[in-house]
Amino acid sequence: MQPDGFHEVEETVRGVLRDVLGISAERAAAFDEATPLFGALPELDSMAVAGVLTEVEDRLGIIIEDDEVDGDMLETFGALVRFAASKALT
Amino acid sequence: MLRFGPATGPVVVVALPLFEEANRTRAFAVTILRALAGRGIAGALPDLPGQGESLVPTHETTITKMREGFEGAVNHLARPAFALGIRSGALLDTLALVQGRWHLSPMSGADLLRELVRTRQASARESGETFDPSTLGTDPAAPPVELAGNLVSHQLLSELSGVSPMTGVARTVRIETEAKPADAKLPGSPLWRRAEPDNDETFAQVVADDIAQWIATCAG
Repeated sequence: MQPDGFHEVEETVRGVLRDVLGISAERAAAFDEATPLFGALPELDSMAVAGVLTEVEDRLGIIIEDDEVDGDMLETFGALVRFAASKALT
Repeated sequence: MLRFGPATGPVVVVALPLFEEANRTRAFAVTILRALAGRGIAGALPDLPGQGESLVPTHETTITKMREGFEGAVNHLARPAFALGIRSGALLDTLALVQGRWHLSPMSGADLLRELVRTRQASARESGETFDPSTLGTDPAAPPVELAGNLVSHQLLSELSGVSPMTGVARTVRIETEAKPADAKLPGSPLWRRAEPDNDETFAQVVADDIAQWIATCAG
């Protein structure tokens, strides 16, 4: 059972990926829990990761510490959303 | 320096962001200046020390040099001038004698430093190297550091944590998705985040309208 606001966090993360990576709205709308991100999306290289994290921070009003960033939370759309939600909704 | 619009009257002088974001926003800035020229307002886009065709290599530039370069460009134009600062470009108009400053999504030097470090850490993670950000800017004699594809001097890094955009006679505009406060929020895309240089013609027109209206109220 997802907490209130989860869907909003998900849509915010979707919007960040769309805006930062320059992905079309249709393509971003198709992202789901299992969609692979880092290593699979050519647009998401190491420079883009920094931009994605900063935009997620700015839009959700959270701080992401350097040591919290690992391959796991960037592996899929679902993992990134769950990470963002865990910081934004507690 | 690129010049647009009429030879007389006020001129809008652009300060592009530092480093890679300058490449990502240059076409956008030119579109804004062309739109302003279409509204009868002149524009100029200088290459500041370390930017574009400047003879100063990136690793030798500092915030102070860039600010002096911007001031010099405004003086050279010798007419009433307004600064247009985009992202970290908003840090560079502090010395210039301008009638007003219009800032798009301004950020502090500390914000920029954080993003540079974050980018380096992301690439360090990818290549398996270790990177310790605590030494940045502490030793002015140390060789320049590679951050986000640019060689950056420790002088510039030590300046960054202490600089912020000026707030006097400044209009701050952000895009609608930004949470930070602003005088106005406009619909537009964060071109400075893209992997490749891009443009947003619609947004450029909206920006030009806002600037033209602001100049009319400033000068009036």
